[in-house]
Amino acid sequence: MSEELVTAVILAAGEGRRLEPLTNRRPKPMIPVANRPLLEYVVEAVAEAGLDHITLVVGYHQERIRNHFGDGDDWGVTIEYVEQATQLGTGHAVLQAEPVIDGPFIVLNGDRVVEPALVKRVAEATREGEHPTMAITTAETPREYGVVGFDGEHVTEIVEKPDWPVETNRINAGVYGFSPAIFEAIRNTNTNGELALTAALDELTDKTDGVNGITYTGRWLDVSNLWDLLTVNAGLIDTEATVVNESRVDSASVSIAADVVMADSVRVGPSVTIGGNTAVGQNVTVEANAVVENTIVFPDAVIGAGAVVRDAVVANNARIGSNVTIEGTPSTIVIEDTVHHDIELGGVVGDNADIGPGATLTTGAIVGDDVETDAGVIIDSRVAAGATVRRG
Amino acid sequence: MCGIIGYVQANGGHATTTTATASDGGVMKATGDIIHEGLQNLEYRGYDSAGIVLVGEFSGLTITKQSGEVNELDVPDVADATHGVGHTRWSTHGPPTDANAHPHTDCIGDVAVVHNGIVENHEALKAELADHKFTSDTDSEVIPHLIEEALAVDPDADLLTAIQRVEARLEGSYGICAVREGDDRIVVARHGSPLVVGRGDDASFVASDVTAFLEHTRDVTYLEDGDVAVLDTDGVEILSNGEPVDRGVERVTWEADAAEKGGYNHYMRKEIHEQPESLRQTIAGRLAVDAGNVDLDISFPPGFLADVEEIQIVACGTSNYAGQYAAQLFEELAGVRATVEISSEYMFGAGRSPDQTLVVAVTQSGETADTLGAIRRANAAGARTVAVTNTLGSTVTREVDSTEFIRAGPEIGVAATKTFASQVATLAMLAVGIGRERGTISAAGARDVLEDLRGLPGAVQQVLDNEDRVREAATEYGDSEAFFFVGRQLGVPVALEGALKLKEISYDHAEGFAAGELKHGPLALITPETPVLAVLTTGARPDETMNNVTEAQTRGASAIGCVSTDCEYSSLDVAFNVPDVGIVEPIVANVYLQMFAYHVANNKGRAIDKPRNLAKSVTVE
Repeated sequence: MSEELVTAVILAAGEGRRLEPLTNRRPKPMIPVANRPLLEYVVEAVAEAGLDHITLVVGYHQERIRNHFGDGDDWGVTIEYVEQATQLGTGHAVLQAEPVIDGPFIVLNGDRVVEPALVKRVAEATREGEHPTMAITTAETPREYGVVGFDGEHVTEIVEKPDWPVETNRINAGVYGFSPAIFEAIRNTNTNGELALTAALDELTDKTDGVNGITYTGRWLDVSNLWDLLTVNAGLIDTEATVVNESRVDSASVSIAADVVMADSVRVGPSVTIGGNTAVGQNVTVEANAVVENTIVFPDAVIGAGAVVRDAVVANNARIGSNVTIEGTPSTIVIEDTVHHDIELGGVVGDNADIGPGATLTTGAIVGDDVETDAGVIIDSRVAAGATVRRG
Repeated sequence: MCGIIGYVQANGGHATTTTATASDGGVMKATGDIIHEGLQNLEYRGYDSAGIVLVGEFSGLTITKQSGEVNELDVPDVADATHGVGHTRWSTHGPPTDANAHPHTDCIGDVAVVHNGIVENHEALKAELADHKFTSDTDSEVIPHLIEEALAVDPDADLLTAIQRVEARLEGSYGICAVREGDDRIVVARHGSPLVVGRGDDASFVASDVTAFLEHTRDVTYLEDGDVAVLDTDGVEILSNGEPVDRGVERVTWEADAAEKGGYNHYMRKEIHEQPESLRQTIAGRLAVDAGNVDLDISFPPGFLADVEEIQIVACGTSNYAGQYAAQLFEELAGVRATVEISSEYMFGAGRSPDQTLVVAVTQSGETADTLGAIRRANAAGARTVAVTNTLGSTVTREVDSTEFIRAGPEIGVAATKTFASQVATLAMLAVGIGRERGTISAAGARDVLEDLRGLPGAVQQVLDNEDRVREAATEYGDSEAFFFVGRQLGVPVALEGALKLKEISYDHAEGFAAGELKHGPLALITPETPVLAVLTTGARPDETMNNVTEAQTRGASAIGCVSTDCEYSSLDVAFNVPDVGIVEPIVANVYLQMFAYHVANNKGRAIDKPRNLAKSVTVE
């Protein structure tokens, strides 16, 4: 029998609400880290693994994804799109691909960066085996993920985000291999109105040779919360990849660390310092004397003269006024009723927000998109999108 | 982005074949026609030149190639042609000339090659091939000469072994298709650039994209990097590291249209959404904000700008409206009289000194016949000429003294969208540059304009984020009898462009006016069935325009406005917010009008990318 082609189905339809405000205008997989969307790293891993047919499941703000990836030519792959109009879980997302799938396929998350080697291993196992395959990795905080029971060959159970103590740090890595038989299994597993892929798999673990496990210890970058972006950004910045060719560096006084990724159309004023683990997107302006460090700056943003921006995310077209300080000490941040301690995040500034001169963002300030602030304000918590922050 | 198609008849011997799914009931098609149609299917990738090589047992290689339209390629009638290869080229570095078009051949013309990608070490290879005669400035041409060399050193070598040897020498990314006189095969190699093989019942295909041959077969095999494939009358053999491999066969289930457009229904919508990116390219490296100046490629003789008395802009259609926008900027920022002429009507009129007149041609394609005619008349009169165009190496760039490229990337939809925005941005930078040279604008004044330009991509993205609201408005008002677009000052060219966009793709009656003109006639056309769309941006006298809109509303018309952040008109039926970017706000407002036109036309099921009777690049006068 000839080698069957394995298609890669990448799930990229979700909103990613925990990453608000960055996901108000773009799906989570399109958040740029090291100047490229998360999803691009996933597409690249698939392409490097030798799979050249990708089905992207898109929904929320899908035009951003279609625009960026087009037909996949730039990555040497063929990309096809299917739409998940309403968000009814990962199982539902996979079902959307059913009409275009007629052989073995693998499933990946569009916002989780894995190595090509893993993609290749899962694809090979899928090409050969009839049973579902699931990649397993380990995490320091397994209870935030799907905790996996594993007997060395097969998956014995999958428990989503258990709120009780667990015996293992093995988790579901979010890379699966299936035959088209999985579609029927998903349809037969309805939990709480959502079709969860893991619930369907969990039911299959009871059967003989139910679900194969592949253990994986390589790079596995997950963005659950805003501050994870900075870790993932640092992880993906290749120290060799500093690109400053066309950017407007105005004087020799500019200092740019080795581990910085800069788009070719960045304008940098005199005496600017761009410190390590920083990504600066296209058409960004960094004005004189500004200091930017461990920060992601999205395209079109302006960092004003003398501003100090550390441990921060500055979204598209945001304006950071002159002498603004964004800097924090490890602090406690609440996201969707969950309290996170000791988080190092200076602040997040949403799309098109305008931070007035001399303002201070500290201890995890999260400023929504389109927010405008007066000069000199101090922000240390969440500001809703579109709000105006007055001094007083 | 280049395109490749190769075709080999199965069974051999016959000069014609029936196509597997010919809709006309199996009419015999010539090899050349099948390849030519494949190239037309690849047009969406953008191109500026095309070529075909046909191979016959007795006729040998017959090559035809030229810069210009794929349609205009005159495919020779080669009766015994059994296979052949075609190529579309989109130049990004180096001009699109007949010589640079593919296929390229070796010195004796026995081997012909088409290539997609880049040969990074072509200079070193070319130096090594010093005794070979090169006829183009492409990197690709080293490949046939390397093949010639490989065939010469080893008498046992054939096309396949030669390519395997040459492949080891090439650095970079490539997809190659090669043919040789007296050889009934096409040999292809993939490294980095996509190549897909099609397996029909009575023919085999290879192409850079399945859309090239989707009408003939849906059974395809995707080649992997390092693969070499041989297509002949017996079918396809794929080799990896010299050993045959089975890459499987996949059945393509999707439709050609969707594959080409990255999932968008129309190029126009794709290109509307590309505007933030294309505008970033337009301004990249050109704004020296701190210095209050611009870095442009265009140049003028010393002293020319100080003495210039008039800038004449010649352009047609959408480019003409970009010109009308720019004329206001030239007067305001550069302090020089500026006029806009419709290219076909342009004459170098009396009362002007040619040496103190600058004529600016604005043309997306650089091939617009009317505009070329106008530029030739300006040159004949002795005026200084410049071009603002999207297309490297286009005819207009050879006719003018100096050129500035708008860098918007290929635009396929017939209705110009992203190129309008990039044309205006480029012309605005030119106005700043001329203004600084003439001392009519201060560094601080220039800096304000440059900051507005810098903010343009982000502002356009904000508008695109509102597409749902525009779609709703298009659904609510789309079935009206007629549409009137109004604005003042910089809003006038945008009103004209908004009306043009709607009429050309939806076939609805749409007209643009200076708002003040409404009451001098057109008001008679206003009824409750004729919505008014208004550009109400700061600096374009929005209050006065709103007065005219209110006059129309009094007659029952609905009103849709594109309104700057610091304005508010509560009587509008629909208000779209335009972010604060100063003199380029009307360009941002225009993106709303583009999306409105698109969704009105789309709701009516129009052929948006190829409206009836229209062509993308009008190369006839």
